[in-house]
Amino acid sequence: MTRPAYDQALAIAPDALRAPWTRRARDAVLLLLALAALVGMAVDLQLAPGALMTGFGKLGRFLGEMFPPSSGGQSERILRALAETFAMAFAGTAIAAVVALPLGVIGAKTVVSNAALHFAFRRFLDIFRGVPALVWALILVSAFGLGPFAGVIALALADIPNLAKLFSESLENADAKPLEGVRSAGASPLAVMRFGLAPQFAPVATSQTLFFLEGNFRNAGVLGIVGAGGIGFELDERIRIFAFDEVAFIILLYMIAVACLDTLSRWFRNRLA
Amino acid sequence: MNVTNTTVETFERERRRMLIRQRTQAVVGLAIFSALLLVSFQRSQFFGSDIGGDPLGRMADFLQRMNPGLQPELLLEDRQTRGSLHSWFYALPIWLRAAWQTVEMAILATALGSVLALGASFLTAQNLMPFAPVRFVVRRILEAIRTLPDLIMALILVAAFGVGPLAGVLTLTISTLGGLGKLFAEINEEIDPRQLEALQASGAGPLKKIRYGVMPQVLPNYASYALIRLEGNLAGAAALGIVGAGGIGLELQRAITYTEFDTYLAILMIIIAMIFLIDLFSEHVRHRLIGLEKA
Repeated sequence: MTRPAYDQALAIAPDALRAPWTRRARDAVLLLLALAALVGMAVDLQLAPGALMTGFGKLGRFLGEMFPPSSGGQSERILRALAETFAMAFAGTAIAAVVALPLGVIGAKTVVSNAALHFAFRRFLDIFRGVPALVWALILVSAFGLGPFAGVIALALADIPNLAKLFSESLENADAKPLEGVRSAGASPLAVMRFGLAPQFAPVATSQTLFFLEGNFRNAGVLGIVGAGGIGFELDERIRIFAFDEVAFIILLYMIAVACLDTLSRWFRNRLA
Repeated sequence: MNVTNTTVETFERERRRMLIRQRTQAVVGLAIFSALLLVSFQRSQFFGSDIGGDPLGRMADFLQRMNPGLQPELLLEDRQTRGSLHSWFYALPIWLRAAWQTVEMAILATALGSVLALGASFLTAQNLMPFAPVRFVVRRILEAIRTLPDLIMALILVAAFGVGPLAGVLTLTISTLGGLGKLFAEINEEIDPRQLEALQASGAGPLKKIRYGVMPQVLPNYASYALIRLEGNLAGAAALGIVGAGGIGLELQRAITYTEFDTYLAILMIIIAMIFLIDLFSEHVRHRLIGLEKA
């Protein structure tokens, strides 16, 4: 088979159809190096194929035992734990929002105009932004004892730096014109905040807080593993005794609850927007 | 005269009704919110827990126990001297090794998850997968993965695969597949269709279309999302260790078991530093990717 058009094109512009071999070689070597690094990491972590196979066998058996899901006659207790999980998420989000609000104001470039102070404050928040709620929960449980209280504080601590960052960004993004308008009418600084800034900021902030409530309901579900109450505790207990039909029941119930909260929250957020 | 009067009256009446409705809505909304808040605080034992009150006192006591008691003149002394840096970070090599394991878990899981997500994204993109049932099924699977919290998945996988990094890598791989699969599919659907049509016109098969029509357009975006995911996976991997999935989280758990709160603080600082470094790295690479895209 002859390809006259191809040969012609190759003659005119060889680089367009075939990369030079140096580049091809470099790409291949880089790809091989990356693969070798990944394999090296897998070896270092002792990820053995044998363990993988037996694990999948066990996992298959667990999944088989999950059907049919069963409440184990404890549906009331499970529902109560689910309510507790929601309570933790709600209380944690509320605390986080209340604490993050003043921090967000301090972090906003338009409020605190000192560049060095602004930079230092933002970096300070950044340091804590990555710490997951579970890591906070682990230590708070030993400080406050077993129970949902530690979970609430853990959720709040994990959210505060993130919410504060979002709050200060939306404060910075607020349109300056309404503020000037209110100010030019002779209003006091407080009135400027109330009638110039708040109407712009409140819907955005509420929407962000609702978004964090959704996330917290997911996070709250696992804090029980370290003893911070809620559905995670019930789950952990049943996984330990291999009662997978009850595990499946709880997970299904929880996933339905998560979907309900997400839908409700999305409806609220759409109304705000 | 009479007409305008009634018009004004109607307006006033309507306005009053609207104001009343708005206020009732606000009051009812506020009442529901307050009740929910009160019940939440009550249920989460905020006002009094089973194990006695005085949470502030306990918090202060606990913060005090977290203080490693460093003494300026003893900082560089050996491990046996209380108050030296060495006695605080007494197992630093082990912790750094565990931290590196966590990083490895995150990188491996991000790489594997991205490759799987790549495959899934072609199966769910409207412009690349013509069969609707396949799109529907793959989409629902990805959604289910996203709904299930990582740690619950990790609990089950630890039960199946045993304590160790394997369960952690698998958990993060699956959750990365769920998250990135959706994002990748969205990128795929936004590509320029003309390049695909040109390839189709020249008789290219589906694989060639993906390789020459899709990949060059989407690769920078993919890489950017994968790097963001890497940041999240690192924090996730640190947390997964707590439930037995290997890495630095295991050390945290151990410090708590022995109530070594100052050790906990030391390991927490290592975790924060680790996350901070990866964030910096990822941000740097992402900005370069965006720069390359512009050039």
